[in-house]
Amino acid sequence: MRNYETFCTTADMGIRIQGRDFRELYEHALRGLNVLLFGANLRTSAGCSAVPFRFHGDGPENVLVNFLAAILSQVYLQKNRVAAVAIDRAGRSFLEARLLVVPWRRPPKVEVKSATYHNLRLVESAGLKRAAVVFDV
Amino acid sequence: MALNFEEVAPGRWRLGKGADRAMTADAEVFASPEILRQAQDDASIDQVVNVACLPGLVGSSLAMPDIHYGYGFCIGGVAAFPADDGIVLPGGVGYDINCGVRLLASSIPAGEFAAAAERIGHAILQRVPTGLTSRGNYRLNKKEFQRVLAGGAREIVRNFAGEAGDLEFIESGGCLPFDSPGAVGPRACERGSGQLGTLGSGNHFIEVQAVEEVYDPDAARLFGLETGRVAVMIHTGSRGFGHQVASDYIETFRKRNLARLQLRDPQLVHAAIASAEGRNYLQALNAASNFAWANRQLLQEEVIKILEEILGLGRAKLGLQLVYDQAHNIAKFETHELGGRAADLLVHRKGATRAFPPGHTGVPEKYRAAGQPVILPGSMGSRSYVLRGTASEASAGAFFTSAHGAGRRLSRHQAVKLAGQGDVRERLGRSGILVFSLSSQGLREEIPEAYKDVDDVVAVTVASGISAKVARLRPLLVVKG
Repeated sequence: MRNYETFCTTADMGIRIQGRDFRELYEHALRGLNVLLFGANLRTSAGCSAVPFRFHGDGPENVLVNFLAAILSQVYLQKNRVAAVAIDRAGRSFLEARLLVVPWRRPPKVEVKSATYHNLRLVESAGLKRAAVVFDV
Repeated sequence: MALNFEEVAPGRWRLGKGADRAMTADAEVFASPEILRQAQDDASIDQVVNVACLPGLVGSSLAMPDIHYGYGFCIGGVAAFPADDGIVLPGGVGYDINCGVRLLASSIPAGEFAAAAERIGHAILQRVPTGLTSRGNYRLNKKEFQRVLAGGAREIVRNFAGEAGDLEFIESGGCLPFDSPGAVGPRACERGSGQLGTLGSGNHFIEVQAVEEVYDPDAARLFGLETGRVAVMIHTGSRGFGHQVASDYIETFRKRNLARLQLRDPQLVHAAIASAEGRNYLQALNAASNFAWANRQLLQEEVIKILEEILGLGRAKLGLQLVYDQAHNIAKFETHELGGRAADLLVHRKGATRAFPPGHTGVPEKYRAAGQPVILPGSMGSRSYVLRGTASEASAGAFFTSAHGAGRRLSRHQAVKLAGQGDVRERLGRSGILVFSLSSQGLREEIPEAYKDVDDVVAVTVASGISAKVARLRPLLVVKG
């Protein structure tokens, strides 16, 4: 598996992600979602402004869903692309970071409405943390 | 999971609760052998079984003939719990709360409409906000928005547009009780306030159709449907507002309850109906339902205005009248007879349509002899149907529920791949269907082959006794979100 990839269910879409630690896992979640929304990631975060994101929850699934929801909120409410995430602290049940955002030039290809908890469970094996998030589209 | 369902009646398949030791109730699917096989293949059957493991489920965990894979609940899923000591699940409603369908009948001959169809399609696409980031034509202040959340379609008819007579033909009169503004979070209001009067994207549409065939002349007459006349179908929901309500309450329910629940899928997180979070969710659900009814009312009025302007006649002369507006993602308190006694239940329907039988007091008086209209849209290029609720053992066992559409068969990627580089508009145009959309990608995702054959879905819906056919509608013009 690659560090991030997209997949489809019958009615919806999702991302599979993996990372050696939580920092990587959350970074790859952003990259996977960007591919789903825009088809690719931006090459640079130059010229971006920073939007703080701070979440303490009950586990990595909870952090992931809320992190992805924050990205979706930037995309659809603020019309921004999240080019990168600058992570200050990341762990099993928390993420403190800055979303580096820039106004999008082209709208996303698909309307991703919500990140769901459907069958969402973090799996750890062979030194990697893996998860699959299904979105309501 | 290989599961042995037994066909207990035509088109009705049951898996006894002994099949899985976590099941608290039977699982039942209304399906043809082929639809059942597809549901086993895409794992939506596993989702029906997961729901059958929930505590306090009344009757069976049910799935309608348009069953397909969802999150937590399958799409086409139905589950009822006792109103007093049962549970409520946001996953049993879905994110697009009160996504639903509205059908208008008219006296416009299909032939006369054809001459103006191109202009009408362009006007709808131009004037009805569609697509990903659409903003509505209405700018509501906070107070006005709260009034819409409390009043639903009633508020629109009272202060914006439409006729009071429409309300009788909207499920629940287009308004569920909402008097706790604090139950709705600020982000939901932020997402929703600008989206009133918008169609959205994905499978949402406005379609102008011709009544092609009438199967039940008495019911069709009551519903105002006449062969060769034009009808208008609108499919949309509560937009970002409903999605945010669902997301917010799934978070709340997780925080309060997840640790003590034994769930196969965390998307099935739930709360007691009587708990503070359960009561608040039901309030917010009603607010989102009201938003959706208000939304469809506004879209109806915009389409009527366009038809009036282009055809040069008023709505009365065009014979435009609301047949029915029904929700297919909702949870509502209803009374059903169980073992000869009346039981108050909270019935969750996700991608499933309420279908009350003839004589039911929940059916508009005008339609009571026929039963509740059930609007069953097909895919973009295929026919749609109008059915009616029936009184049968099967329909009572399904809490008077029917299918809500054709049901997806292919994923979006599979659909796009199958569509290839061909022009979907051109292809459907050759079949006499005009297609308008801002998104060619969206059209490829929604090609007719992406859905089950609606005729198969209707055949099993009727054969199993959960609804009866009234009329078939042929698409003339489709505006896709």
